[in-house]
Amino acid sequence: MHGRRLATLVMVALFGLAGALIVARPDARAADGALAKLVEQCLGCHSVKGLEMALANGDKLTLQVDGEVFAKSVHSRFGCPVCHAGTSLENHPPVKKKIAGSREYSLEMNKICQTCHAPIFELYEGSIHASLFRDGNSYAPVCTDCHSPHAVMAKGAYDTSTGAPCSKCHDPIFKAYAGSVHGQATLGCANCHRAHDVTPATAGDRLKNTCLGCHSDTLASHQKWLPNAKRHFDAVACPACHSPEAKRKVDLRLYDRVAQQRVAEKQGVPQFESWARSADAKGAGLDAMALHSLLREFNREDNRTTLRGRLEVSTGVEAHQLAKSARAIQDCTTCHQQGADPFQSVTVSVVGPDGRPVRYGAQPEVLSSIISVDSVSGFYAIGGTRIKLLDWLLALAVLGGIGVPLGHLTVSWLVRKYAKRIGGKEDS
Amino acid sequence: MQRIYVHPLPVRIWHWINALGFVAMIITGFQIRYIGLIDLMSFRTAVVVHDWIGFVLIGNFFIWLLFYLFTDKIRVYHPELSPVKHFRASFRQAMFYGYGIFKGEPNPHRVSVYRKFNSMQSMSYQVIMLLLVPIQFWTGVLLWDVKRFSGMIEFLGGVRVVDTAHVLIFIFFSGFIFIHIYLATLGHTRMAHIKSMLTGWEEVEEEHGGK
Repeated sequence: MHGRRLATLVMVALFGLAGALIVARPDARAADGALAKLVEQCLGCHSVKGLEMALANGDKLTLQVDGEVFAKSVHSRFGCPVCHAGTSLENHPPVKKKIAGSREYSLEMNKICQTCHAPIFELYEGSIHASLFRDGNSYAPVCTDCHSPHAVMAKGAYDTSTGAPCSKCHDPIFKAYAGSVHGQATLGCANCHRAHDVTPATAGDRLKNTCLGCHSDTLASHQKWLPNAKRHFDAVACPACHSPEAKRKVDLRLYDRVAQQRVAEKQGVPQFESWARSADAKGAGLDAMALHSLLREFNREDNRTTLRGRLEVSTGVEAHQLAKSARAIQDCTTCHQQGADPFQSVTVSVVGPDGRPVRYGAQPEVLSSIISVDSVSGFYAIGGTRIKLLDWLLALAVLGGIGVPLGHLTVSWLVRKYAKRIGGKEDS
Repeated sequence: MQRIYVHPLPVRIWHWINALGFVAMIITGFQIRYIGLIDLMSFRTAVVVHDWIGFVLIGNFFIWLLFYLFTDKIRVYHPELSPVKHFRASFRQAMFYGYGIFKGEPNPHRVSVYRKFNSMQSMSYQVIMLLLVPIQFWTGVLLWDVKRFSGMIEFLGGVRVVDTAHVLIFIFFSGFIFIHIYLATLGHTRMAHIKSMLTGWEEVEEEHGGK
């Protein structure tokens, strides 16, 4: 008993000394020496190949640390105790503290990262990854999922050849991206999506602004040939034209015109989906009347919700298949004619609690019905979403315009023998 | 026949630029709205031509407006303030076009320098020139640069509302232009009114009593 207490004191003293040496660095060389010795002691056991332990839920926790890799990592200069400060001879070994499972252990250890990386952790907290985690998805990525803690390199976690760590979860997207113009230029995911404050791609203008951040002359070059270029930039996602093989669709976004932002689903009260479902009695997707009544529900208290449309690609994979600009769609008729593909697939959306859109399907007719003048007032693509009733009115007007003079002439001709002369004196 | 000068030069310039411009706007309008169904030119060409001619027509509109604002000829647009008189005259005019003209009756409206429009024309042109044309120009300008005028478009109810107003007036003009041209052929000869819009001089029958 006495011996164990002594051993604990020695261990704590060693860790304490190491910590003190890190903080106070007047004699860095001496500190480095002590630290290296300590790390060496840890690695004495933890470099043993196949070292692992069984956890309460049956998981196996790998305990092996590759000393050479760790020596190259940016954490090596801090040694083991900075992250494993809670480990002492009292509980190590044998471990008395129960670890429920490997995921639980990762989540527990993840908290330690905040102590040194608070600003980055703050960025992470605003990310979709953190949102998913807060919403109860324990497999949403945390620090250690992207940064192998014993092999953190200064250049960042991303590997351009494999797309790791992003590709661990987003492999189909990485495969599509790898063949794209950006993938071939070996840009990383974080170049567009950022490393820590990753937001949902379809939320806000951030991703579009990222495109424009590098392609700064884009607006001017588009204005040379594209009428209403700025409007196109607002209403059309970049990949809709620059991912030429993609299937396009329209997302009608509920928009708060007073707050000047997309309508967000209320936390804990998922109104959008339940209202959409009750409006869509047949379950075939919202038709023009159903969409109108859905909008009326949102405007029951205050008349501030409207719909804004955006043309985008159907999947995240397609959004990453960006081609060289020469292959981008420049044919206006891709969208600006009746029956154009992009308008055959329509969704209505709000921003979900985690920042990702919550979508509900709508029928294509919502874009061409006369009711759309009221309900889809913020979205219109010439030709592609034209209102059919107006086509009939135009046909009537032209037929009337031609028919009335022809009829008048015909009557004049038929009654010519009874008339003293044809024609009056006054003008048109 | 008596010759009276009813169409001063600025009005004739405005009229013919307007006529050609409106025909071009209608053709390009059809092309823009019905690409795939009509293929006279590319969509982009149609849009660019439509935009440019639109601005020419807006400038041209001010020739008309300033001429009438700063001359006494504005009297031709003065409305008949008595509704009874106005509708009685309009009914007489409609009866002439629908019935009397076939019998060879004389036109009930007699043209003079300050009364060149009959009651139906007077009402129509007030609505067209003071309401429909300005709305068409205004909505056209808004649609020309949706982003620049997004505040105004939002105020008016959204881009689809503005576009629908523009298309409805386009529909009206697409039908009206045929009627307009046909009515222009109903002078004492088929070409009489058209010639007068070129020369400015209208030929009218001498009034009984020989004025």
